[in-house]
Amino acid sequence: MKALFLRRSGAGYLLLGLVAASLGLVYLDTNTRTLEPARDVLGSVVYPGQVAVESPYWFAAAAIEAVSSRASLLARLDELELQNLELTRVAMRLQALSTENDRMRELLGSRARLPTEVMIAELVGVVPNPDTLQVIIDKGTQDGVRIGQAVIDAEGLFGQVVETSRFSSWVLQIADVSHAVPVELMRNGLRSIAGGTGQIDLLLLENVPVTADIRQGDLLLTSGLGGRFPRGYPVGQVQSVLTERTRAFAQVSVKPSALLDRSSYLLVVLSAPVHE
Amino acid sequence: MNLTRGGWLILLTVIAAFLLTLARAPVGSPEWLGWLRPGWIVLVVFFWAMAVPHRIGLISTWIMGFFVDIVFADPLGLNGIVLTTITFFTWRFHERLRMYAVLQQAWVAAAMVLFSEGTRRLAHDQAQAWLPVTVLPAIASMFVWPAVYLLLGKLTQRFRVE
Repeated sequence: MKALFLRRSGAGYLLLGLVAASLGLVYLDTNTRTLEPARDVLGSVVYPGQVAVESPYWFAAAAIEAVSSRASLLARLDELELQNLELTRVAMRLQALSTENDRMRELLGSRARLPTEVMIAELVGVVPNPDTLQVIIDKGTQDGVRIGQAVIDAEGLFGQVVETSRFSSWVLQIADVSHAVPVELMRNGLRSIAGGTGQIDLLLLENVPVTADIRQGDLLLTSGLGGRFPRGYPVGQVQSVLTERTRAFAQVSVKPSALLDRSSYLLVVLSAPVHE
Repeated sequence: MNLTRGGWLILLTVIAAFLLTLARAPVGSPEWLGWLRPGWIVLVVFFWAMAVPHRIGLISTWIMGFFVDIVFADPLGLNGIVLTTITFFTWRFHERLRMYAVLQQAWVAAAMVLFSEGTRRLAHDQAQAWLPVTVLPAIASMFVWPAVYLLLGKLTQRFRVE
């Protein structure tokens, strides 16, 4: 009994020491990037657990696929073939246009745009934390994923890589409250910044003057300013514009184009990593 | 960590708690379901620190905290603070806590989960953080505590963790 007491009297100091050390680490991790190698290692250890927990959903999907009827599969095949035909047509036109565009740029003396390479990644998990909108993908540093790369899905801009481990990466979604992306209106090139709100289906444009030419239904694209996101990916569509004379700025709410809560296949844009 | 005398069981339950924490509701389920997650890791640490206080140390719970940080995408070290504090106070009062009825322990467990969720809200500095996100996990933990207590208690006896 006495030994136990002695042991515990030292524990208070140990607790204080550990809490102080933790506070130091929290400070370092929120303000610098020195702890990234440590996060990398820890993330690699946690990865098998994430895969294990996600696997029931994969099995369920596989089982549904196995028992779905031949007729519905054939219908789906037809639908996809039609879609493929349409997309091939669009891609052919796009190729011709981009060659023409490069030639024009050459004539103008500005350099041709770099082709953007993408890599397909699969969603393997969602961060179980209501404070942050992050997902985990199955590609990591060994596949060439770096912090800061943009992530898109079939519909539009999805987010950016904020953390990597060897086999997986963490993607911060554009609707996260700490996320903002420079955008421009497709209709007239008006520039603004689309900030996340923490709600998965809502972005807000920041500091838009009440006189700005912006309407419901306008499409927003990434403007490429700031150097983090490549230019020209759809970000969202303006849902409502609220102008009150008493306010300095209009309240513009935007619905993200990307299916932030449904996409399970994502594309990581492997452009040259941008420095901070 | 010593794996003899039931240490492997402690490690196994901790891993199970991590897996439960990582598990998500199927796509399309309502949002409040995500808020009703019990703080599994806190509950497991609370149980072992109360049942076998000499087997679970401050350093090991501190290291465990780093993995929790990764799981929740928190700044490194944050959950170390939470888990070591919980361990310390459970140690301090473990004799008294053992005497409590299970329902009384459930209240203590809920308070500990509330502490861990509250710390996380503070660290993320959330303007839009509202009460249910912090309180619902604590309430869910209160409801699952009797089950956790009975199950882990049975396992402790069966495999002679001491």
